Amino acid sequence: MSNNKILCNTGTVDLSIQDISKEVDKLINSEESKLKLTPENADSGLAKLVLTLVELIRKLVEKQAMRRVDGGSLSDDEIERLGETLMKLEMKMEELKKYFNLTDRDLNINLGPLGDLM
Amino acid sequence: MDKLIYCLLLAKSNHAKPETTLNSLKGVKEAGLVAVEYHNISAIISDVTEKQFIANKQHAVEFALVIDQLAQNYTLLPMRFGSMMDSADSVMEMLERNEVEIEDSLKKVKNKWEYGLKVLCDREKLKEELTAKKDNDTLNFVKPEIGSNNSVYKAYVLKKLNEHRAEEQILSFVDSILVEIKIYLQELKAVDKYKKMTNETTIIDAVFLLDKKKKKEVINMVKDLQQKHLQLNFLLTGPWPPYNFVELNLK
Repeated sequence: MSNNKILCNTGTVDLSIQDISKEVDKLINSEESKLKLTPENADSGLAKLVLTLVELIRKLVEKQAMRRVDGGSLSDDEIERLGETLMKLEMKMEELKKYFNLTDRDLNINLGPLGDLM
Repeated sequence: MDKLIYCLLLAKSNHAKPETTLNSLKGVKEAGLVAVEYHNISAIISDVTEKQFIANKQHAVEFALVIDQLAQNYTLLPMRFGSMMDSADSVMEMLERNEVEIEDSLKKVKNKWEYGLKVLCDREKLKEELTAKKDNDTLNFVKPEIGSNNSVYKAYVLKKLNEHRAEEQILSFVDSILVEIKIYLQELKAVDKYKKMTNETTIIDAVFLLDKKKKKEVINMVKDLQQKHLQLNFLLTGPWPPYNFVELNLK
């Protein structure tokens, strides 16, 4: 069924059908995005969930801040303070990811038909 | 014994009764298929015990194959994988309770196929191309706005601002592609649904429902789009049963 359902797949981008089926397999298995909570790894499992939410909020805050910078509504001083805050937040997140042995990919949960979280 | 429900279909049409087709098909775990009929509608079911039913890839494919083959001859509404009821009588009662809604939904998808269109690209490459294309390079444009004596923090904001602008550029590019697709689809009188930027490689994930006779036109549409946008990959799949166009809340 799967092969004869592809009606058209042309282009110059190096994305083969293998790449696509890898994506499909990822969706089906999605081991990466599953929360594996067991008594042994309760800490890191919970940390993954919490850090995912924190990272999502951090990115949303960053996006909103950039919109304001782009809009030209912030003074030099405000930009300075904003930069310091955002930079420190990012560094803290890096620290936490390292501590719990998590990567950016781990925090970008796959929401199935909705796509990736971030 | 529990019944696994595959789809709901219009039983009375120009085609033979579903039983004829069902005899040549096998359901999940090779189970025989049966049609539960109520007036003009039927539910296609097979026996299944909950222990037997494991939601895995093989069962999902077997389930989809039944729907796909029945869709060649009947107007149908696919049921969600794993939909079960405790007996054929319960299925019959469900058909009775929802007859009007089911018939209305079936009318909406009559003589129509669903197609899927994914627009894929290498996002980093695209970002580079779009930035290069812009007459006023974003980097050169931003620097004077924030000032020349940049501290570490201002430089950080500058870097983030450039990333943000590059993302915005991609988003407006995606919107322009979407508008192009929608213009084509309007000409074909298709009903469409879409999502943008679903993952690293997929910038548009669209599904649309259109007349069964318009398969050639859809393929031509994608070929046209491909010629205009060589940096993108267009992946067209179908024809599918109307998986994404069943809006039915069964009582």
